[in-house]
Amino acid sequence: MALDTDDEILQDFLVEAEEILEGLNEQLVELENSPQDADLLNSIFRGFHTIKGGAGFLSLEAMVNLCHKSEDLFNLLRQGERFVDADMMDTFLKVLDILNTMFAEIKSGQYPSPADAEVIESLSAYLNNDSAPASAPEPEPEVVEEVTPPPASTESSSADAPADDEITDDEFEALLDQLHGNSAPGIKDSEKAPKEPPAPAASASSSSNSDDITEEEFEALLDELQGAKKAEAEKPVPPPAAPKAAPSPSTDKAAEPKAPTPKPAEKAASEKVEAKAAPAKQAADTSVRVDTSRLDEIMNMVGELVLVRNRISTLESSFENEEMAKAVNNLRVVTGDLQTAVMKTRMQPIKKVFGRFPRVVRDIARSLKKDIDLELRGEETDLDKNLVEALADPLVHLVRNAVDHGVEMPDVREAAGKPRQGKVVLSAAQEGDHILLTIADDGAGMNPETLRRKAVEKGMMDEDTAARLTESECFSLIFSPGFSMKQEISDISGRGVGMDVVKTSISKLNGVIDIQSEVGVGTTLSIKVPLTLAIMPTLMVMLGEQIFAFPLVNVNEIFHLDLSKTNVVDGQQTIMVRNKALPLFYLSKWLTKGRTDGKKPEIEHVVIVNVGTQRVGFVVDVLLGQEEVVIKPLGALLQGTHGFAGATITGDGRIALILDFPELMKVHANRGY
Amino acid sequence: MTVKVLIVDDSSFFRKRLAEIIATDPRLQVIATASNGEEAIREVQRHHPDVVTMDLEMPVMDGITAVRKIKTIRHTPVLMLSTWTTEGAKSTLDALEAGATDFLPKRFEDLSSDKIEAQRKLCQRIYQLASGFQASQSDIPANRATNSQTQVAAAKPEKSFNTTPELVAIGTSTGGPVALQKVLTQLPASFPCPILLIQHMPATFTPSFAERLNTQCAIRVKQAENGEHLVPGTAYLAPGGEQMLLKGRPNNLYLSIEPGDVKETYKPCVDLTFDSIAHICGSKTLAVILTGMGSDGRNGCESIKKKAGKIWAQDQQSSTIYGMPMAVAKAGLADKILDINEIGRQLAELS
Repeated sequence: MALDTDDEILQDFLVEAEEILEGLNEQLVELENSPQDADLLNSIFRGFHTIKGGAGFLSLEAMVNLCHKSEDLFNLLRQGERFVDADMMDTFLKVLDILNTMFAEIKSGQYPSPADAEVIESLSAYLNNDSAPASAPEPEPEVVEEVTPPPASTESSSADAPADDEITDDEFEALLDQLHGNSAPGIKDSEKAPKEPPAPAASASSSSNSDDITEEEFEALLDELQGAKKAEAEKPVPPPAAPKAAPSPSTDKAAEPKAPTPKPAEKAASEKVEAKAAPAKQAADTSVRVDTSRLDEIMNMVGELVLVRNRISTLESSFENEEMAKAVNNLRVVTGDLQTAVMKTRMQPIKKVFGRFPRVVRDIARSLKKDIDLELRGEETDLDKNLVEALADPLVHLVRNAVDHGVEMPDVREAAGKPRQGKVVLSAAQEGDHILLTIADDGAGMNPETLRRKAVEKGMMDEDTAARLTESECFSLIFSPGFSMKQEISDISGRGVGMDVVKTSISKLNGVIDIQSEVGVGTTLSIKVPLTLAIMPTLMVMLGEQIFAFPLVNVNEIFHLDLSKTNVVDGQQTIMVRNKALPLFYLSKWLTKGRTDGKKPEIEHVVIVNVGTQRVGFVVDVLLGQEEVVIKPLGALLQGTHGFAGATITGDGRIALILDFPELMKVHANRGY
Repeated sequence: MTVKVLIVDDSSFFRKRLAEIIATDPRLQVIATASNGEEAIREVQRHHPDVVTMDLEMPVMDGITAVRKIKTIRHTPVLMLSTWTTEGAKSTLDALEAGATDFLPKRFEDLSSDKIEAQRKLCQRIYQLASGFQASQSDIPANRATNSQTQVAAAKPEKSFNTTPELVAIGTSTGGPVALQKVLTQLPASFPCPILLIQHMPATFTPSFAERLNTQCAIRVKQAENGEHLVPGTAYLAPGGEQMLLKGRPNNLYLSIEPGDVKETYKPCVDLTFDSIAHICGSKTLAVILTGMGSDGRNGCESIKKKAGKIWAQDQQSSTIYGMPMAVAKAGLADKILDINEIGRQLAELS
């Protein structure tokens, strides 16, 4: 039997449940950092509970079953009867993945297929085993400091823990993560730990508070555990995970400063989520579901209206009628308001994209054995729905890069005098009519010299050219096709295709990307994109008799220039702007016909434009001014014409082509930007 | 009368569904919705709803806290919509203790396999809650009349009732969990006879409820088991979803737990248990009917009364819903009509 996807009840459910699911994604990752945050546990519990309720109403049994089990388990967690460990975390994340799959199935009109029996089983195992693990973690924290062998009773009680015979890679990784996570730098009190192999459980947990245990030692311990007491294989995990161990008063100073730091951030974050959730929910009550294509249609019509307004206000200036002027002014205001209002209906918080990053970062960090704290800022920033979707992939790529290439391994960091935990900050903010996104890491930064050398090695340029590159030009090299920063290629990033694609996608959104980096301090990537794709502020210019529109976001500055003061470098005409040589091009040579080069005036208008990460100067004939235009795609007849983002109708009823600078440069200047 | 309903649930999906269901009943009207306890309190102050449907798990302020606060602001019947699971039982009972009036399953399939029927039941319950609640609040003069009347009638058999009963049976429904708690907590551990408790409640709730009463009371309280012999000083709670019948002879009484007829409206049913009591030791039984919707227990009381057993009914003022006690009182069966605290006190005096 198929589901009726048009059913309003089902749609309601999907809308709400998806929101919750996104929240869960974030909250679960947060949970890993603060496994005992009662508010967080409660809110995750409620999330599963609400999805279950809705799914139950719609008789989506597979989903009910999965959520029900998870809900029950979180109920135990929030009542303190169980504690989260890395293994359980993995199970939760699996549950989340399955739920996502189920959603996809429901959306395509199918009843969700039952969840992986393995996951359900492991959930059930956690549920049924509540007595054994609940008793085990309690005594463990006590033996954390004194490295005495644990009482026999602890061992026997832990023997009935749900144990696989083998320690899987995941588990081992989890253990390692735990050790890294719980250990604070600079504590030197447990040299004893490795000396006490007969008490594996105790030494494993004691070393969790120290730094000095090496991986080899740890592995030795593991071997021992595996060989002697297979059933205990999983046991060492809960104690470090049981966060009581960290903030407990008996723990020494090393652990103390670590515990309070994440707390306020966590708190604030969860409060923010709560505060945000409330109004959103209320709004949902009065909301109507509208197809995005209808919104697009409305946006299009508003666009037309804007054009008509532009037209009328141009006409109006030729009448000298006060009444008329008033009416036109009114029209201008109302159209503007309407435009803003319609634009707002298409706005979505960037949270939709940001929400997936905690998980992404966690997963990569885990697979690379790095310790990374991701901070999200400005998640409430609204931008056009299409943009939100279009930005998702590039951002994922950049964040992966920051984690993979940017942040160093914990040991390296420590050696460089940095905290073991790396930090990646992802932020969004509205600046006027565009959005500024930044991805900043506190990693190793990029060395311009290395980049230069690499460029030469790859045969992208000769040494002289490379040497002439400015620092920021060097950084921009990473956006070149086939340029990879990492020596060896990992499966996470570093194939060199990514950054190139990222830049292209950002350019397609009329966006600008910029890199700043300092060796040893970190790298910051900033992306500027317009608020919306449908209506664009432009700078109108004339080339000959024809009007062209420059996307304003690209325009850097405009000035008059004495063309006799240009130089030719490498066969390229350049101008000096504040001691920087910029390439200069005559746009009319590219875009208009029948112009003779002879009668050039001495002073010309030059517009400096950001193309990708570069700045380029263009000579234009006349500057008309700023105008908001609606982008119309070029018709089928003009298919294959490169260098134009589209066309628009100007205030005086003429057609203006909107320039697409990255394309334009590629086609006419044979330069990739 | 149109019953004004306030819906409280953190899921907008559920709020919408509930509102849709409630809208199908012309007697009901949704006047507002709230997504958490705090909002609920604001809406109660602003709109004065006749009934509040309340979710348990909500952000900002949960259902139980909200119920407690609403009670201090304005006397409003609150219908808890909860999960009918063992876990749900605990929090639902907490909510009832906090002052919620009644509870229904959040999964409407638990109410009836037929969707339409389940929705009708939900609406009916909301309506009854509002009207029953208003009846127990407003009709004070009418209540007085019946009260004094029956009390006069009660004066006579009072004399003949000179020995302590050999069995106490208490039947109740809406409002019962709290009423039972008030009565049973007053009884001493040395209570001289066994007590049968018949509380309309789903099967998943009765074990938790029995356990809860057991920890709160001096007497022993347990869920009745099939074939169990009755012991003085112990209260046996009829398990939900089944019928509890008294079997055996005086001095050797035991319980039979049976699935009962599918058609029975109530599981457990007060009438069925009371009838079985009447056959065996009706004359030595004190039957008590506490707060509840409907009239279950009236026929059972009649049977017991015929065998010269004693009948007490809870009075109107202290009843959450004056339905079942009213049916007994109106039929002239009640030997005494008492305030809830008085019932506990007088029962305690029997020992």
